[in-house]
Amino acid sequence: MAEGSNKTYKVPIGPVHVGLKEPITAWLDVDGERIKDATIRPGAIHRGIEFMARDRNPIQIIYLAERICGICSFTHIMAFVRAVEDAAKIEVPARAQYIRTLVLELERIHSHILWAGVACYTFGYDSAFHLGMILREKVMDVLEALTGNRVNYGTGTVGGVRRDITPPVEKAIREMIDLYRNEFGIFYDVVTQDHIAKARMRNVGVLSREDAVTHCALGPTARGSGLRVDLRWSSPYEAYCDMDIKPLVPQDHTGEVYGDVFDRFLVRVLEVYQSIDILENILGGLPSGDLMWEPKLPKLLNYLKQADGIGWGIIEGPRGDDTHAVKLTAGQENITWWKVRAPTYANAVSWPIMFRENDLADSPLIINSIDPCISCMERMVVTDRSSGAEQVVTKADLIERCRDKTRRMMGS
Amino acid sequence: MKPRCADYTDEIMSPEKVLSLLKRKFRKFSDTMELRDYRGGAGTDVGYQTLWVQVEKSKFLDLIDLLRELDFLHFHITSGDDIGEAVQLNYHFSLFRCAGRGKRLGVTVTVDVPKDDLVMPSLWQWIPGIEYSEREIREMFGVDFDGLPNKALIFLPEDWNEDIKPWRRDEAGPKPEDIRELS
Repeated sequence: MAEGSNKTYKVPIGPVHVGLKEPITAWLDVDGERIKDATIRPGAIHRGIEFMARDRNPIQIIYLAERICGICSFTHIMAFVRAVEDAAKIEVPARAQYIRTLVLELERIHSHILWAGVACYTFGYDSAFHLGMILREKVMDVLEALTGNRVNYGTGTVGGVRRDITPPVEKAIREMIDLYRNEFGIFYDVVTQDHIAKARMRNVGVLSREDAVTHCALGPTARGSGLRVDLRWSSPYEAYCDMDIKPLVPQDHTGEVYGDVFDRFLVRVLEVYQSIDILENILGGLPSGDLMWEPKLPKLLNYLKQADGIGWGIIEGPRGDDTHAVKLTAGQENITWWKVRAPTYANAVSWPIMFRENDLADSPLIINSIDPCISCMERMVVTDRSSGAEQVVTKADLIERCRDKTRRMMGS
Repeated sequence: MKPRCADYTDEIMSPEKVLSLLKRKFRKFSDTMELRDYRGGAGTDVGYQTLWVQVEKSKFLDLIDLLRELDFLHFHITSGDDIGEAVQLNYHFSLFRCAGRGKRLGVTVTVDVPKDDLVMPSLWQWIPGIEYSEREIREMFGVDFDGLPNKALIFLPEDWNEDIKPWRRDEAGPKPEDIRELS
């Protein structure tokens, strides 16, 4: 397909793959290899979780909320639990707040390393991907030691947490901190110092600061565009109230903002170091005391049944702020309604802007750069509307195109 | 025009001042206004606040205009419920989200949309980030948004019967035979 023929073709990317958590379809208008415009169509696997929740009490919903996302499951239950605590006016013991913060940061580390590794894999830098995956295993081990699980931790509850930091867990966390202090720098260097990796990410998928503001971009996507947004800073909650956390923006490190995939990469890998510092602060200042506001479940449920009002909980998750709102009605055991706004819901609005005037081969990287699920790319259909011909391009083909571009740039 | 988004170097209005400004300009609704305070941690007095306000539909745009003068009105989500005579929508916003530690002010604006006139003015022209949420409320509750350019379905499947509004609790909502129990 030659460029400049003034003929655009529609290329759908997505929507579903068996391993997806956030399936999304992107319809790309392409002229040759250039993307002219994009339309996003989510909803391929809308599960009606908010509708299901109408028949459940707040404690049951914790387990439903945990299954919204496999990566930031704790972020979702914390946003939900804080919304319930807001509506029912529940005070959480300080020790429980610290343990919540600790799990949130562990989750951020594993999510960011996973993302950074997968980003390298997308443009064919497999050795960096493998290095990232090896490093990520350590934080997964720590999460397993603390909660018994690698994915859904079952650790948070209304009014507190269900797991304590025992001496062996503390030892495991400190070992992890040492490992990352010594080893994560290697991963950071092999990617940021690599000319090809930088060339593949620099000036690709640019989102300007203005567009990030108006399109309500969140988390590393917004920070990559130079916007100082971080709920841990602008609305401190839990143990973040005791720590002065600064939003990480590229201009503070490189002196300039491009708002491209590289800046988003930079923000995420630097936040791993920030999270390590936070973990050390938490272990150093862990207060003693109770783990729960009310450990007896029937008593807690009875109290929640009397509560009345709307609660709003927000958490700075690995991908941006996660917003939950919930309505409790006095005399009703079940919640009245519940609304979930995962960060990708907001960040996906910015995709069309990032796609414009980029190469088709960069589309996997751009989709990936806001950190949704790359498995959305399971298949795509290229349609030539003038002849009506259809050709199915598999995920493997698309990744191969993306890697081809790397090879071309390396001159091999 | 460049969107105004207060930076941490800028002077911003305190939550109490925003509340008193709203009470002055929207005296009729001052009983619905509430400032909630959130504190955390072990010892410090750091946290944030949220403002809650309910207005009539006819005053909704006036309130939004006033809030937009203070800072870029960052949009989170619209939640809502079918409360019988009306569909109640809660718009969750943030002011001053880049303005400094503990400076963000969450603002929830509640508005009842009567069922005999299920139309709201769209905020899309000022806040493009609201698009998905307005489309969601449109398909889930049947509330139309005046001024929203793309009104296609967003989360419901292409072959969805659009007469069924999943979050409604009246005859427009899903009937028992429309629901498949998973157990």
